[in-house]
Amino acid sequence: MQKAIKNIFSNLKSKFFGKKDSEYAFLASVISILVGFILAILVLFVLEFAKADSDYSKPLLGIKNFFTYSFNSTSAFAKIFYNAAPLMLTGLAVGFAFKAGLFNIGATGQYSIGAFFALIAAILWQYPWWAALIVAIVAGAIWGSIPGIFKAFFNINEVITSIMLNWAALYMIRLIFFNLKEINTIQSDRTNDLSLANPSAIIPDAGLGELFNTSFINMGIIIALLVAIIIYIVLEKTVFGYEIKACGLNRNASLYAGVKAKKTIIMTMLISGALSGLAGGIVYLAGTVQYTTEIRLLAMGFNGIPVALLAYSNPLGIILSSVFIGFLESSGTGFQGLYSTEMTGIIVSVIIYFSAFSLIVSILIKNTIKKAQEKLALIKVNATKEESESSKDFKEVEKEEVPDKKGDEV
Amino acid sequence: MTIFAILVSKTIAFAIPLLLGALAGMFSERSGIINIALEGIMIIGSLFSALLLTRGIMDSPLGQEHPQLVVLLAIFVSAFVGGLFSLLLAYASIKLKANQVISGTALNIFAPAFATLLAYSVISIGISSIRFPRGIRITPEVLGIDMGDSPRWLSMMIFDNLYLTTPISILILIISFLVMYKTKFGLRLRACGEHPQAADSVGVKVIKMRYIGVFISGVLAGIGGFAFSLANGTMHKPDVLGYGFLALAVMIFGNWKPFKILFAAIFFSFFKTIAVFASTLEFIPKFNLNNVDNLYNILPYVLTLVVLAFASKKSRAPKAEGIPYDPGLR
Repeated sequence: MQKAIKNIFSNLKSKFFGKKDSEYAFLASVISILVGFILAILVLFVLEFAKADSDYSKPLLGIKNFFTYSFNSTSAFAKIFYNAAPLMLTGLAVGFAFKAGLFNIGATGQYSIGAFFALIAAILWQYPWWAALIVAIVAGAIWGSIPGIFKAFFNINEVITSIMLNWAALYMIRLIFFNLKEINTIQSDRTNDLSLANPSAIIPDAGLGELFNTSFINMGIIIALLVAIIIYIVLEKTVFGYEIKACGLNRNASLYAGVKAKKTIIMTMLISGALSGLAGGIVYLAGTVQYTTEIRLLAMGFNGIPVALLAYSNPLGIILSSVFIGFLESSGTGFQGLYSTEMTGIIVSVIIYFSAFSLIVSILIKNTIKKAQEKLALIKVNATKEESESSKDFKEVEKEEVPDKKGDEV
Repeated sequence: MTIFAILVSKTIAFAIPLLLGALAGMFSERSGIINIALEGIMIIGSLFSALLLTRGIMDSPLGQEHPQLVVLLAIFVSAFVGGLFSLLLAYASIKLKANQVISGTALNIFAPAFATLLAYSVISIGISSIRFPRGIRITPEVLGIDMGDSPRWLSMMIFDNLYLTTPISILILIISFLVMYKTKFGLRLRACGEHPQAADSVGVKVIKMRYIGVFISGVLAGIGGFAFSLANGTMHKPDVLGYGFLALAVMIFGNWKPFKILFAAIFFSFFKTIAVFASTLEFIPKFNLNNVDNLYNILPYVLTLVVLAFASKKSRAPKAEGIPYDPGLR
């Protein structure tokens, strides 16, 4: 009896309890993604059920199309990576700030600022693409450093300043947009088409377009991958990266150890802003979209948050999670024809946004496992008690052990 | 005079959602939980009340005879749904001790997706905008007042954008003040936001107080969402256009205090109204800019930043906000 319980216990122990935080996070990410998928599929069926002429083959076909779409053609496959490039960068922006214990909810503002100034550089100043990208980086970095400065010098929560700056950025861009007539000469609500205004500002595709037979791919993904690797090296192999992580884990301890916390905070936010700005530049210099003047915050910056959360802020994990979300966005097209565009967007966003809960799921898992652990420990203690009472020879030895174990494990 | 009347009327109409949102934020933060999810809760509140108003009930005999009763019902629905939705935040940040800002953000990005989905499937709101029925406004006839002799601008100023949410919000403001500063409950709630360990040591149940704080916050924000869609007149999508975030700014500007929040809400709403009328009204300075409304829209956010920077020493932000309660630190 005791042996059997001991076996089960040790089996479970090796299965769950030895896990590090990152393994919990991976499990949590997978669970959140699955829950998102299940919820989206449920929604499809419920909507079908609510209709008068229910046809359950439609959602089934939709799901099948969703999963196969991206692998049916090279152009659809390429679009995964086209979508993943900016997601990777905004994910890195959010994740990098997380490492320093900062929450950059302002990624969307920095993203818009980067995008808009890249377009000004491209259309107004006729810069080539690489110079326009540098403008995007600088603009994003400046906008991102403001919450850092507020945090460092006035000790104001970066979340509040970032939120204010998101909306300030939105209206500031609109103000500049309507007062710079040269960038919206063709249509009054959007910037001029880059292929007409300045073809040299379109990011080259380095042969990828020909390879995949589509215009929805360019060097953006290569740049994003390089940046992800650089960020990984900075975080893991440099003193600066160590200081950032120390600052994130315990600011006071890092101060005591001689880390200049103010400088680290400002630099982290600056780099985070630069990454978001670069993402904006990459999207709007692709020559496939134009900046419009809608009054809403752009979703790309917010999508960086689930990307970072899914990957537990690990730069290499962010590569994977951004490709996954890029796949979702690309596969949404598979729904079209069956469902309206709104419906497609909604289903995809339900899956994406559920992954934002992954951190909470990971805590839930941890708590559940902890509780199971406590219960098992109790069972074990009780079992040893029974055993010790039945076999009198080892009574004294066992009795000494029992309270010890209780103290350790409960 | 007519223009003045319109400006005042609109300012009051848009101050109401800001006031409610900021009071919502105050209750949550004073109990020690940062509520970034205001925007999401407001969206949910606005969605469910709109569903109630536009589907069925308004056309039913009850809706025809007593439209104000239906509006009251919608207020209760938005309050209930808002409170329920906020419990998600409460559970994550109090029970699971997750980062409050992240769980709030998760709700913020989840709410619009959920709302759009529901609205799309129930009332096809993504396709055409929904206009609220006309009967829901409070008019002189509803109150039984004869406005015969008074000038036209007076009735415009008072009644043009008057809904049941307006008097109820004023009531909520007064009750909030009384609850916060004149009751045992308020004192305990504030203690949980300032020093939960000390509060616990004298027998205050911190966890329970924080749950209540967040729930009240959800209730008020839910009503705030409904007030926003009323003030807006139509609903194109279930969206509150960043008013939840602006409400956070109002709360900071109002220094986490009920009556200061009222002034901040009116102040911010005034800028928003000016922005709406900036291009049409002669006397608003335009600085030779096109679409000057954007300039007036920036101002509330920039002013909040300035206030944050210069008044950070005097700030009355609850000391323990954002920190999960740990009895071990007592």
